[in-house]
Amino acid sequence: MSLPVEIVVALLVWGTLVGVDLVSLPQMMIARPLVAGTVAGAILGDIETGLKLGVVFELLQYDILPVGSVRYPEYGPATVAAVTTAHASSGVLGLGLGALVGLVTGLIGGIAIHLLRRVNSRVVHAAAATLESGDPRALVRLHVGALLRDGIRAALVTAVGLGLAWIARPLLAGVVSQRDATLLAVAVVGSSLAAGAAGTLRLVGRGPNLAWFAAGLGGGIVVAAWLR
Amino acid sequence: MAAVRFALARALLRLFSVQGSYNYERMMGVGVGVAEEPLLRDLADGRYRPAVARGAHFFNAHPYLVGLAVGAAARAEHDGAGPDQVERLRDALCGPLGSLGDRLVWAGWLPFLSGLTLVAIALGAGWVAVAAFLIVYNVGHVALRWWALQAGWAHGAQVGVALHHPVLQKAGTLLGPAMACAVGAALPLTATYLVAPFPAWARLSVVVTAALGYVALRWRAGRLTGLQLALALAAGALAAGWLWP
Repeated sequence: MSLPVEIVVALLVWGTLVGVDLVSLPQMMIARPLVAGTVAGAILGDIETGLKLGVVFELLQYDILPVGSVRYPEYGPATVAAVTTAHASSGVLGLGLGALVGLVTGLIGGIAIHLLRRVNSRVVHAAAATLESGDPRALVRLHVGALLRDGIRAALVTAVGLGLAWIARPLLAGVVSQRDATLLAVAVVGSSLAAGAAGTLRLVGRGPNLAWFAAGLGGGIVVAAWLR
Repeated sequence: MAAVRFALARALLRLFSVQGSYNYERMMGVGVGVAEEPLLRDLADGRYRPAVARGAHFFNAHPYLVGLAVGAAARAEHDGAGPDQVERLRDALCGPLGSLGDRLVWAGWLPFLSGLTLVAIALGAGWVAVAAFLIVYNVGHVALRWWALQAGWAHGAQVGVALHHPVLQKAGTLLGPAMACAVGAALPLTATYLVAPFPAWARLSVVVTAALGYVALRWRAGRLTGLQLALALAAGALAAGWLWP
């Protein structure tokens, strides 16, 4: 059940990059669960599991609108941890437990972002006089220091997630029954679809876009039925 | 001219980390100051440092459009605007840049492409869909950042004109319906994709759980998040599995 060291290191590096991308640098959306999960799956040699969990957490991501200084969970490193857990067992068995590990990691990541912002506030407050002097070197130093802190934060969150995955993976080898794993998967997939729908409808509102949403939903149902 | 383009390029690179020092006191102000600094270097000695200090004051807006404020404030400093004028310009840009960026990107371009990617994955496109998402999204992302910085620099204190650019207006009109349609289509298709390996009773349970979860999220809007719902339901599922003989 243990992974080779080079795979763990690659996952840690990827999770850190994903964590930094969310807010700090460069916001190119590798932090999006679809991307984070697929690449984590590729690192583990299991892209299908990466895609599945990427889709689950992408739906949960719709619940978040990162405006102002709103607090939100961090689903990028969470998806990496989830895929690492689920990779131990294919199908429904890995999906539920993997997602649970990801949810806990996402919660921890959100708390870590809030704590980092508080630390940054203190640092900026303490450096107020230097900033008011207009010293460009001090300004850049302060900014780079905060970037490094976010890198360390993202690495720690990913490490915690991979640690949880390391604890959870053996459970898939017999401790968790197929029925229990299915119940867990039902809960996670159901809530992700609910969050995806609620988050989208919050963006869509009650104006003319609601008709477009209904048209898309209808089209999706028709295609899904046709494919069956 | 070459020196200006070089300074703009440096500012653009720095803009990619504009939220790197995000905090509850100055929000992204420090990052804005860092991004603006290359554009202020050719100011006279007595004006450079005060301008750098002003650049790092409180600022909050959408990160992709903040270049408009960076370029406009730097240009205003070059045009000899007073400290109060520059501060007022920055204050006036926070709200419009935030709401425009949220509407165009967070509630438009990003969920639109994400929805299309979910549809493509559900239809079997696999990792290729994810790669296409990343490329197409970032073409728009980088173009928007570059346009914003250049427009801010070109218009200076009159930057409000840039916010009424026809492409932005058209994009705002088109992206809302496109996003709604794409994500609407993605929901049933991803549901089918995710439950494919489930037994029949579990598929029905997913539909019921999703419906009840949706009602709970709407009913407790603002107090119940998707993460809390998912964790509560997962805990319930574990308890049910433990109690069920």
